[in-house]
Amino acid sequence: MKTRVNYRANASTKMNILSPSQCQEVVMAAVETMERTGTVFHDKESLDILKKAGCWVDGKQVRIPAYITERALRSCQKHVVLCNSRTGARELFVEGYNAYFGSGPCTPFTRNPFTNERHRATRQSVAWATKVLDALPNIDYAMSLGIVQDVPLLVSDRHEFEQQILHTDKPIITVCNDQWGQEDCIKMAEIVAGGEEELRRNPFICLYAEPISPGVHCREAAQKLVMGAKKALPTIYTPCIMAGGTAPATMAGVMVQGLCESLSGLVLSQCTREGAPFIMGGVYTVLDMGTTIFSYGAPELHLLLAALADVAHYLNIPMFGTAGCTDSCIIDEQAGIEAALSIAMTNMSGANLNHDTGYSEYGTTSNLDLVVIADEVLGMARKLTNGIRVDEDTLALDVIEKVGPGGRFGKEEHTQEHAKENYAPRLVNRAARDIWAKAGGKSLTQVANEKVHDIINYHEPKPLPKDIATKIRDIVENAVGHMPGEDD
Amino acid sequence: MAGFEELSKGVIGGNQAKVKELTQRLIDEGAEPLEIINQGLIAGMSIVGARFKNGEMFVPEVLMSAKAMGSGLEIVKPMIADADMPSIGKVLLGTVKGDLHDIGKNLVGMMLESGGFTVINLGIDIAPEQFVAAIKEHNPDILAMSALLTTTMLHMKDTIELLKEEGLNDKVQVIVGGAPISQDFADEVGAAGFAPDAASAVELCKRLLN
Repeated sequence: MKTRVNYRANASTKMNILSPSQCQEVVMAAVETMERTGTVFHDKESLDILKKAGCWVDGKQVRIPAYITERALRSCQKHVVLCNSRTGARELFVEGYNAYFGSGPCTPFTRNPFTNERHRATRQSVAWATKVLDALPNIDYAMSLGIVQDVPLLVSDRHEFEQQILHTDKPIITVCNDQWGQEDCIKMAEIVAGGEEELRRNPFICLYAEPISPGVHCREAAQKLVMGAKKALPTIYTPCIMAGGTAPATMAGVMVQGLCESLSGLVLSQCTREGAPFIMGGVYTVLDMGTTIFSYGAPELHLLLAALADVAHYLNIPMFGTAGCTDSCIIDEQAGIEAALSIAMTNMSGANLNHDTGYSEYGTTSNLDLVVIADEVLGMARKLTNGIRVDEDTLALDVIEKVGPGGRFGKEEHTQEHAKENYAPRLVNRAARDIWAKAGGKSLTQVANEKVHDIINYHEPKPLPKDIATKIRDIVENAVGHMPGEDD
Repeated sequence: MAGFEELSKGVIGGNQAKVKELTQRLIDEGAEPLEIINQGLIAGMSIVGARFKNGEMFVPEVLMSAKAMGSGLEIVKPMIADADMPSIGKVLLGTVKGDLHDIGKNLVGMMLESGGFTVINLGIDIAPEQFVAAIKEHNPDILAMSALLTTTMLHMKDTIELLKEEGLNDKVQVIVGGAPISQDFADEVGAAGFAPDAASAVELCKRLLN
């Protein structure tokens, strides 16, 4: 018998960018910006809701008193769960320090995994992408990896959702063109879940909207946010901001600008319906001053989002992060470096729901080879954050003693028992050179591409019952598109 | 005159105070205002454009240079008739209806100005009718439309159709840009050109007007 006191163990890695004091300072600066500078809402219903709640509304400019922001931070639901669409099983607990990973939405273009041709995303490309996401063990949820464009563009979101729900039972984050598209997608989700209340109890979809930085909430975004709150469905609000373009060039300034926009969205959500589940998003990066792109591979992206994760933990609200993406136009060494750095860093930061795996070409073109590579990187990254268990069994003094100098550990029962805890790669090559050469001497991207082919050709996602699929088809076929800027 | 080269260097360095001082000195020394612009200010800005293209200068530096050039122009401008002011061409710029995205379009505007174009920036959420009215008012050589969304890019086609209806399509060349835009899309909607970024938009405009 042994007594041991004041013993502390790390069950995982520990990483922080901002201290609690710094988090507080950044949040207070954002709250001050909301109160002093405010943001603009291009939506009458939102302006009415905010005015009624006590915000200072001056035309479309809304300044939010600090007490309302503080109340919204208290009232939003902190426990957000996303479920399996077929079984309702509660799968993702988007809270605390849990980190989940998935793909990104809305790329206009995609690269065909069979022909390598870069083309506009289609129903088929989204179906293929969703199958790949469904098959990969480290991918936790699905975003579409493309805007369907072989259908009337104003109703593309309904077609996109149909392809997603047909090809995966993992939770889906759906990005709709506008409030009407979102209404239809919620209807489809309610049919799948078995009703409005069933969907609310076990939500398998998560809604998504984004402001236009700096500080502008367009009508579609505000309406989607209001609808999400009314339906009490988890809703992500994610500013995509560029240091030096739509925000100050300084990292702290970016944090303030981004938080000001996110938290203004939170206030709208909570003033619409107190307690509505809200997920604070962020794609914070730099405007590349050489090329003017919104960079998806810049180290500042990873740094800023890890800092945002610190703020999310400080505020105790769920967060939507970004990882697994690249500025590279093809899946090459640059793509691997940028995706791996972002995944490792984001995973260590404990950001909850992380998207954009599979983005290439600074977010304009999805690539399934990169998704498969990212799945392997995720396996490694998750091993990295597991920490090292230190106890009598793992210290293994008895085994060391038994085997002795010059002995072999391979045949020991202890080895057989524990070896499987170590990471077993499924994609990267560790074979001897001759064996690798005999297998075709393939690069990682080639192996990943073959895996994409295999999944598309042979993987069978859990099917959606036929009668439900028919009802969904019906909604898609009867969808009515709304031209942006009209219907005011 | 040796002062021109020094003035160009001031523009390249983005040094507003120096450009103001040198411009004034050249005027005092009796230099021709148009020569100050062409051989000093614009000459410097052309080097800036080339250096940006080569990756030797970055956006903020280009904008500083443009500002420096502007501060020199301000001094010379009153000495020249408007019609004689050198301008490569006039570009009317705006983001299409229903789309509030501003930054990319503004970068294009700033780069065009830096490249010697006169730019009229209409802003965001510009309906086809507003573009047409502005074309009638300003007589631009080029109409440049921006869209960030696959839904709003449809308004580009509407605008081009309206230009045809109004008989303006021969008077103004249309170029399009934005994340979801491609050369194929530009061809499909009948635009004269597409540029993937701000720097190439300047080249495109120069090419179209030559």
